[in-house]
Amino acid sequence: MEFASVNGYKRPVRLCEETRRFAHESLSHRYGLMTRETPAVILDGIEGFDEMTPVQKYDAAIRKICEDSPVRVCRGELVSGSATLGLAIVHQLPATYGGTPVFPGISHLTADFAGVITEGIDGIRARAEAALIKFRGTDREEFAQSCINCLDSFDIWHQRYLDELLRLGLTDNYNNLCRVPHKPAASFYEAVQSIWFTFAFLRLCGNWPGIGRLDKMLYPFYRKETESGALTPEKAREILAHFFIKGCEWICGGDYGSGDAQHYQNLVISGTDENGTDVTNDVTYLILDIIEELGISDFPTTVRLNRDSDEKLLRRVAEVIRYGGGILAVYGEETVISGMIKAGYPISEARKFANDGCWEVQVPGKTYFIYCPYDFLQLLQKNTLKSYDGSVCFDSFDELYDAYLSDIKALLDRLLDGILRDNMAECRNGEWIWQKNTPCTAISLFERDCIGKGCSYLEGGPVYNVISPHIGGLADTVNSLYAMKKMVFDDKKVTFRELTEILADNWENSEALRQWALNRYEYYGNDNDEADLICRRLLSDFADMCFDMNGKSGYSFFGGVSTFGRQLEWSPHRLACASGRKRGEVLAANASPTPGTDRNGATAMIRSYCKNDLSKLPVGAALDIKLLPSCTRGEEGLEALVSLLRGFVSLGGFFMQPDVADAEILRRAQERPEDYQNLSVRVSGWNARFVTLNREWQDMVIKQNECGCGY
Amino acid sequence: MNADADIRLRVAEIQRFCMHDGPGLRTVVFLKGCPLRCAWCHNPEMQNTDKELLFVRKKCIRCGACMCCPRSVHAFDSGHVIERSKCTLCGKCAENCPSSALQICGNDMRVREILDIIKKDAAFYGKSGGVTLSGGEPLAQSGTVSLLRACKEQGISTAVETCGYVDRQCLLQAIPYTDLFLWDIKDTDDDRHIEYTGVSNRLILENLAEADRLGAKTRLRCILVNGVNTDKKHYESVAGLYASLNSCDGADVLPYHAYGGSKYELLGLADCSDMNMIPSEEQINEFRDLLSARCPSRK
Repeated sequence: MEFASVNGYKRPVRLCEETRRFAHESLSHRYGLMTRETPAVILDGIEGFDEMTPVQKYDAAIRKICEDSPVRVCRGELVSGSATLGLAIVHQLPATYGGTPVFPGISHLTADFAGVITEGIDGIRARAEAALIKFRGTDREEFAQSCINCLDSFDIWHQRYLDELLRLGLTDNYNNLCRVPHKPAASFYEAVQSIWFTFAFLRLCGNWPGIGRLDKMLYPFYRKETESGALTPEKAREILAHFFIKGCEWICGGDYGSGDAQHYQNLVISGTDENGTDVTNDVTYLILDIIEELGISDFPTTVRLNRDSDEKLLRRVAEVIRYGGGILAVYGEETVISGMIKAGYPISEARKFANDGCWEVQVPGKTYFIYCPYDFLQLLQKNTLKSYDGSVCFDSFDELYDAYLSDIKALLDRLLDGILRDNMAECRNGEWIWQKNTPCTAISLFERDCIGKGCSYLEGGPVYNVISPHIGGLADTVNSLYAMKKMVFDDKKVTFRELTEILADNWENSEALRQWALNRYEYYGNDNDEADLICRRLLSDFADMCFDMNGKSGYSFFGGVSTFGRQLEWSPHRLACASGRKRGEVLAANASPTPGTDRNGATAMIRSYCKNDLSKLPVGAALDIKLLPSCTRGEEGLEALVSLLRGFVSLGGFFMQPDVADAEILRRAQERPEDYQNLSVRVSGWNARFVTLNREWQDMVIKQNECGCGY
Repeated sequence: MNADADIRLRVAEIQRFCMHDGPGLRTVVFLKGCPLRCAWCHNPEMQNTDKELLFVRKKCIRCGACMCCPRSVHAFDSGHVIERSKCTLCGKCAENCPSSALQICGNDMRVREILDIIKKDAAFYGKSGGVTLSGGEPLAQSGTVSLLRACKEQGISTAVETCGYVDRQCLLQAIPYTDLFLWDIKDTDDDRHIEYTGVSNRLILENLAEADRLGAKTRLRCILVNGVNTDKKHYESVAGLYASLNSCDGADVLPYHAYGGSKYELLGLADCSDMNMIPSEEQINEFRDLLSARCPSRK
């Protein structure tokens, strides 16, 4: 049994044969494919369904799911509970009426798993019962009642698993599931089971939550038991490995566009706690062991690094990154935390940060989050430059830049108008009241303070409600602006009007000038202050505009930078750029340079990125770095990786996803997918199993690897 | 530093994010000019001390921007023809070339300008990384010592990649500011050394012995060229040489590769790379195994 490695190194073997077999089985789509047989439960037989309120319909759907979804206990599994309905894998609540799904799923949040293992479902029920009393007779009663209904359904589902484990004679599994997740976990094994079972329930209902800080949550149990001798590190590793393997149960293989392993189930390890003390512990290293051995692409894991992070941790992280797969990413937590404080979070809350299951940071278990992706290159080309129709002309760079800012402002104004129209009901004594929204009680149970407020996750229930406008097309926008500044206003190689005509013509008959634009300027990503400072200025102005929207609705607005692979859809529709790009050519990902323009290596790229005031973007900006396997071999390669991580953190980086991949290997995988089933690559905030990307996505990944981006 | 800051060096290229030119992550400053003419040289554009015009044919779009040349060096016939004998290296063509097909190799930079670039990656050097001076032969330029000293003053670790065929004084001056010499051992057989590099290895070995006597830290870098130095006797001599040194901390095998071949074309020369010179996997392993057994690290 081999787990894919791109650097030629064999992954170590620490787990027992049975666990490795289970991992292989899960990665070979066995459980994912089973869900195709049971896509959803059917609500058609429920009497009076048409007359029900949306919340009643929702409760009925959850009930039906808990009663009717197949119960699956896998051979050899140590933790139980499975999300066995196929529609959940496409982000729907898997219950249909008249053949169509009734409600969508919820994602981009991390549920309060820390709360689950400390207060248990019983604790949540006690809060829900109190809420029901408190809100009786108000418009919030229905939500409070729905919480009780969902918990009742949860109990049914839990009992079905207990019955099945008993029937199969799996006494250990049965005993371990008896108390949790209802009671607070009393052991490491119970804690893992408790988190998994709750996670599986949320996924069963079509939601895709992130996990949060797994090592921090589990360590108190681990320490107590290893000290008493009740648990060995080896046993703990096995249990934890089953958590990771169960996390692959939605892998289906086949051609899925953006891959079959992308369900926003990111988890976070290491970093400091609420008091600023480093939490890195034995469980951190056990998690790294498991990722290193199995190369499992779910759960993508992000390591919170800081300037004082232990050398041992950095080396271990580098060792795991070297095998490829892009499973590990890193935060520079000082920048993240200082950004969150600037945004108004108390420091103790900021220090709790995890992510939304992708890389956007949030306080786990307390945050409503959604991001709004925008293509800023399109905005520049279409709105500011009027698609090069010749109707605008600018006399200076600042004039051009200011016009662009006005267009950004208009975009954000439209966003705010939409939110006030569609989400907010009124502002009563300075407190915003939300409009009724789609029911989502299951996820609301695990988000503070939905129960306390009597409001769902989508209706202002969480403590923090964040909307994040994201800049996409950052590098191409910056490069376009920079090239115009240089060619038109500084070097005067061409007038604005002439350049507009040339770009309208897609550089036809202007090859010499295009070559000049391509070769004679150093664009974003090359550590050229002139270009990088345009980027800094743009991000800073954008961030301020986002902050300016705070207080004008019930949401906080925090800017971010992302494309999440959307550049693939955008590129055919974007016009020529002053930086020499022709219509249809490759565009940049996230906050990374445009492929092919970064000539000065990974350190220059990181420096360009870090020149931005990233702490003004409290949600984040992602930098992708592609490294050749040969760059990472041997002690030299390991040291180089450690140096990159260290430098990234000390320069104030926010989030970096390094991937070790080789265009040659990826091309071979395209030809012989059967030989590369487990090969995963970092795409953008998640890592996809390469062979399950469709051809366009595969080609994009190869192109980005070939064009440099950090070699 | 102040006295050193304005000293100029002729730089061929500066590369950041290097990891095979000394420990850790490094910035490599390639200096122009080398006293040797190795048959296997993979940086031919760095041999000549003078500036040189490089032409990357595949980048040329035949736009004619280079016709601005005051001495009519460039002509377009069936292809782009360069009459190099007429060229005064004024650099005008390179300045105007939109695709950077024409470039001048050799930029006279002040120590402080070079240092500014080196310092850019200070956050990445950590405990082990730093700057490596290479080339060409870095110790062939008198300003090199100034650059080394300036780096050390900034707390940046320094390495020098040398062929050893250098002026003794220059070497002695460099030693206090050099944390590691990557010392090329092309061949221990002197006749062959003369034949393939153009010079005797005597000065190289004497310099190495003297540097070692003064406590300079070195690492031997042994090029392996099939049909030239792939004999047991040479391997034994390298091991013997290592044994004679006190401050040398290991020896690396650098197998000949043909990647430098295309660079000859940049200078208007014929590609003299020779696939037959590439050593076999067995040859590499034999030499490598012997060196790792006989030249153990002394850390």
